[in-house]
Amino acid sequence: MSSDFYQFSILPFAAIIIKICRAYTNSQEDFEDYYQEVCLQIWRSKDNFKGQCEWSTWVYRISLNVCLTLLKKKKNGQQHFTSDRLPDDVTTDNKAFENESLNQLYKAIKYLSEVDRAVILLYLDEKPYSEIANILGTNPNNIGVRVKRIKERLKKILDGKIN
Amino acid sequence: MEKSIETIWKEGFLESEALVAPKINDLYNQKSKQLIAKMKRMFKVNITAIVILSIIFPILHYFLDATWQGVAASVMLLTLAWYSKRQMKGIKTLNQGVNSYEYLKTFDQWLKNALSRNEKIIRFSYPLSLLIAMSTLWSAWNSQEELTAKIAQKFPGLIFIGNVPLALLVVAGIVTLLMFYFSGNIYRWDIRLVYGRVFDKLEETIAEMEKLRRE
Repeated sequence: MSSDFYQFSILPFAAIIIKICRAYTNSQEDFEDYYQEVCLQIWRSKDNFKGQCEWSTWVYRISLNVCLTLLKKKKNGQQHFTSDRLPDDVTTDNKAFENESLNQLYKAIKYLSEVDRAVILLYLDEKPYSEIANILGTNPNNIGVRVKRIKERLKKILDGKIN
Repeated sequence: MEKSIETIWKEGFLESEALVAPKINDLYNQKSKQLIAKMKRMFKVNITAIVILSIIFPILHYFLDATWQGVAASVMLLTLAWYSKRQMKGIKTLNQGVNSYEYLKTFDQWLKNALSRNEKIIRFSYPLSLLIAMSTLWSAWNSQEELTAKIAQKFPGLIFIGNVPLALLVVAGIVTLLMFYFSGNIYRWDIRLVYGRVFDKLEETIAEMEKLRRE
């Protein structure tokens, strides 16, 4: 991968990758692995980008797909956590950010299912419902309802932790 | 909750430290480790399977009234397992201090050498396995005197050596020779069947790393 490609096509969008990778990993080591894998995948698939969407949308899509794939591989048979019971490994890296509230929010996001995590990350990054639906390959009408439900759930989780 | 999640998000990411991208200087490190660990696991499983078979074979052959053939098969399998185990020790001598690309290349070279050495051993062990299998059949046949009598009655022109028709021995000899001749191909086919995907993955990763180094 040329340093130019990284410098001009990945680094300006690193924030997207960081935000997504943080939501799907529980340790600094995993985060760095996921980040690297996403960068590699963006480089690998650069020739498939035909300008059909914004480059940032493309980066979102690849980041999410890579994280979901890696997570699936890692879990390899383990149950996805959709219950309110906090999985043990979620607590392992709660110092990912300097901002404590942001750490708590990320911790709460990790309670959600993988798809709900993707939806809320995109929503929080102010992506319109149509774009969220486009990235996730679903109907925009469903996104609004889903976002509302996820926000309520996050509030419930956070209410017990941030005051 | 005092702040909305949107506010927490916005404020949290206003701090510059929150979005520092990690350095990407060792892109394939984890991937290489995983790939090689997977191969080592597969080799170990293979050796364990060979050892288990070497225990089962004599027991099975005992009930087929061909104990010696069972023992011979067991000795052959144990020799193969020992040889494979010895080959695997070679992985430990590979220099892990080099970068991922060089490590994968060295591993690939070790793998190719190991497969080439195995092929030479297999050239003899496959026909030997066939001979043991035929010898087992021969033992079973010898105890069936009624069957031999019936065949002799139906085909009076057949020449017998012991209780076995000569034509059958000739066929067995030809098959053994063919097995000797084609054992390399059979071994390569066998290896592809078991390890094909992971070997392809190794090749793909090396090719991709080479491309990455060029660009």
